[in-house]
Amino acid sequence: MTLDTAPEVPRAGFNFDNCRRNAALLQGGFKPPTTTKTGTTIVGVIYKDGVVLGADTRATEGPIVSDKNCAKIHYLADNIYCCGAGTAADTEMTTDLISSQLELHRLSTERQVPVVCANNILKQMLFRYQGHISAALVLGGVDKYGPHIYCIHPHGSADKLPYATMGSGSLAAMAVFESRWKPDLTEEEAKLLVRDAIASGIFNDLGSGSNVDLCVIRKDSTEYLRNHELANKKGERQLNYGFKKGTTPILHTSIKDLQITERVQAVPMEIA
Amino acid sequence: MSILAYNGGCVVAMRGKDCVAIATDHRFGVQAQTISTDFKKVFHIAPRMFLGLTGLQTDILTVRDRLMFRKNIYETKENREMAPKPFSAMLSSFLYEHRFGPYFIEPVVAGLDPKTMKPFICNMDLIGCPNEPDDFVVAGTCAEQLYGMCETLWRPDLEPDQLFEVIAQSMVNAFDRDAMSGWGATVFIIEKDKITERSLKTRMD
Amino acid sequence: METLLGIKGPDFVMLAADTTHAHSVIVMKEDENKIHKVADNLLISTVGESGDTEQFTEFIAKNIALYKMRNGYDLSPRSAAHFTRKNLAESLRSRTRYQVFMFVAGYDPNEGPELTFIDYLASSKSLNYAGHGYGSMFCASIFDRYWHPNITQEEAYDVLKKCVLEIQKRLIVNLKNFSVAVVDKNGVRHLDQISAKSLVDYNAAA
Repeated sequence: MTLDTAPEVPRAGFNFDNCRRNAALLQGGFKPPTTTKTGTTIVGVIYKDGVVLGADTRATEGPIVSDKNCAKIHYLADNIYCCGAGTAADTEMTTDLISSQLELHRLSTERQVPVVCANNILKQMLFRYQGHISAALVLGGVDKYGPHIYCIHPHGSADKLPYATMGSGSLAAMAVFESRWKPDLTEEEAKLLVRDAIASGIFNDLGSGSNVDLCVIRKDSTEYLRNHELANKKGERQLNYGFKKGTTPILHTSIKDLQITERVQAVPMEIA
Repeated sequence: MSILAYNGGCVVAMRGKDCVAIATDHRFGVQAQTISTDFKKVFHIAPRMFLGLTGLQTDILTVRDRLMFRKNIYETKENREMAPKPFSAMLSSFLYEHRFGPYFIEPVVAGLDPKTMKPFICNMDLIGCPNEPDDFVVAGTCAEQLYGMCETLWRPDLEPDQLFEVIAQSMVNAFDRDAMSGWGATVFIIEKDKITERSLKTRMD
Repeated sequence: METLLGIKGPDFVMLAADTTHAHSVIVMKEDENKIHKVADNLLISTVGESGDTEQFTEFIAKNIALYKMRNGYDLSPRSAAHFTRKNLAESLRSRTRYQVFMFVAGYDPNEGPELTFIDYLASSKSLNYAGHGYGSMFCASIFDRYWHPNITQEEAYDVLKKCVLEIQKRLIVNLKNFSVAVVDKNGVRHLDQISAKSLVDYNAAA
């Protein structure tokens, strides 16, 4: 029996309780609020013996930069990472969810999960939500079949590509790939190419900015290069805008003391 | 007008050296009419953790109550205090549960980890996309002004006294440029051994 | 269109509500009571969608009465306000939403007086004075000017008179009568109505 005083123990899955009220409010002429989007440049390439994923680190809320250094390359499994563009919460939660499903899958099959499996779970989930979960993903990983890059769109379609770009900076990044990508790049060449593609997004697309994150996945090792390059360092402040103590007028102050004193006393548990 | 600006108000939190600060304004209005000037949008939810909620007041109250319920369930089950990090994770998944019918709020969490005493700040959008920078977080109707103020005034490793002046000046000067926020402010400085609450003298217009 | 007013003093809460029941452009009734006695120490005044006001207030009142029967003591005004808000918030998410604006006013021997403002979105705030409806817009400044923490019942009644005078002078809608009720340690009392007639030789400046 559910307790009358505690009827709201959360159930699994989405909750639609507020929908009707929110629809009525929005009908009353209020604008719907903006969610955090990752305008984003995300890319992935296959090189000779692995893949390199890349992402910028800007998150925006309308025209405001809400996070200057967010991580858009998400962990799915030791050999699979995934870059996310679109509504930030969606990419975050979707990759978290899939990551745990892949881990359960790995434990039950006792095998390294192939990249195509992550691709299938992701696209099937996104298709089920008919594009309402706006996550555009570049999935990359290496398994026993070799390196793979998948490009997954919010409605659930997916392409298997040798190099892919996504997000608002995808055109800028793709321009770099189209001019310089070739099969069997070396790791250093691939890293440089990805860095240049992301930098092209950062500097030419308003939705992308800040730093370059890279992730190199090889046959048996993975290297997550968070803030591989700080493309936009903040200038050093010349003067100190400090305030003298007491600048702000205060009406009243109250101090709550948290000093907790603790006394440990040994209690004999059993006497032999 | 955005529904998030219906009642007005703003919250800001900052990290200092072994301390965090969180500040709230006091206005509760219904669109342009001010109803009350003593509505604090920051709630003390654990000995060293505060939750700030801006947006639609009815949802501020609902979300606060529901989170307290979930937090209490956690604490009874686990028999230990909830740290800011898991609390934020809980808040994030709570908000994402309502992805398709969201609560119209923007939360801010500030606190010290009960074990390590490390400062923690975090904010989210209304569907729970977490953001944990190492400088400051803002929310509310004057978020844009707050970004500007904090970006210039904040610097690393501020001592509690300095942190207070920085957060207070950021807040006051930001909401002086916003009609929907202001009418008094309160700043909480959370340190290892004490919590200092100061009400600011502000413009009342 | 309809107007509610409320003032909290150090040991009482006073509510005023107009008595007009209008439908479209027609005044249907001139003596409707919008201040409901819910318990010995609790008043709820409600305006909003006609029908909803009656139904919702009655629902709350009966549940508060049930609480007393079950537990043998009354819900405190603070708890009553919380209960009311929660029910309103839940109804907003249902197919049949109540559209009501209300004041929950009560006096508790331990917690003291409590005046809670609740609007149709289920926003809620405990206040010293407030109004609902178009008339309230003219009263905010009067309350700001004349309310003080030690206000007496006579003074509060006088402030309400000032408010009604202003409403009848400035608001385009004709709100003739205002019923007034007070709740304090002695329970609930209805005071004399404030009407155009009773204000004939009232001097607001005095």
